[in-house]
Amino acid sequence: MKEISFKNDILPLGDKLYRLALRITCNKQEAEDVVQDTLIKLWEGREKLKEVDNLTVYAMTVCRNQALDHNAKHENKNISLEDSGVDGFDNQHMPDERLIYNQRYEIINELINRMPEKQRTVIQLRDIEGRNYQEISLMMNISLADVKVTLFRARQQLKEQLKKQKNGL
Amino acid sequence: MDYKYIEQLLERYWQCETTLEEEQILHSFFKQHDVPEHLQQYADLFSYESEASQECLSDDFKQRMLDMVDEEPAVEAKTIKFVSRITPLFKAAAVVAIALTIGNVAERTMQDNSVGDNVGAPSIADTYTRTEDITATIHIIDRNQSESMAKADTVQVDEITRR
Repeated sequence: MKEISFKNDILPLGDKLYRLALRITCNKQEAEDVVQDTLIKLWEGREKLKEVDNLTVYAMTVCRNQALDHNAKHENKNISLEDSGVDGFDNQHMPDERLIYNQRYEIINELINRMPEKQRTVIQLRDIEGRNYQEISLMMNISLADVKVTLFRARQQLKEQLKKQKNGL
Repeated sequence: MDYKYIEQLLERYWQCETTLEEEQILHSFFKQHDVPEHLQQYADLFSYESEASQECLSDDFKQRMLDMVDEEPAVEAKTIKFVSRITPLFKAAAVVAIALTIGNVAERTMQDNSVGDNVGAPSIADTYTRTEDITATIHIIDRNQSESMAKADTVQVDEITRR
């Protein structure tokens, strides 16, 4: 296979990796650290990458492991989800829209981030990144059945929470 | 407007029976502004998900990464480095080749000039050997001639005796 280029092959994966890392660490700064470590790790092991079938899947696997390691090291920091909730937003909206949007955005973001890591990662990969079950099972190193069960539980929980919120309002 | 299809899709979505394409349809549906009241509660989720998929790293971070990796281009361009290491040798070889060619040409021109200066010895030698050759040839011709003359004599004698 061809030579791996950092600028053309590895760096473009950064955004996807960042979104996954952000979902797992729930903190923008930590997510950036994880992505940096992941990109460097991929680059240093680029000879191996030539034999990899699906670079994205491989990179996501490495990134998740890095993020989990990171979480394990910073366990105490990670519990305070409320602090980091707003942190992850990208302000692409007009200033007047942003405020309203951020509130609704924040609610959903928190709903997802409150789930166990496995569930929020599956939601991230399936519903936000649009990956198929096969890829998710490879990325998370779990069985296809496990992916589906985890996704089912996560979606059911979201559905319940959304219903509750509607009734509550 | 009839939302049966969307409702059906949603129901299958919660059961995790939708395909990626169908989930894409749901996302596009909830992106539009006039979502009916009874589905409004899900609109936030789907539009959040669409929005969250656009989240990206800052250009600053990317530039920093590029700079970090650029610090070690030696490892990056292993094959290129090998070729580029050899290139000066090619250049040196080319220079040497050109120098040799010029030197050769110059030397020849010099030689030609010196030949013109002392015509003497070699041309005399040439003439000398040629003269020897010629005398040798003359000798051979002489011998042949005398032989054939001798033959002609005997033929004459034969004819005379027959008569």
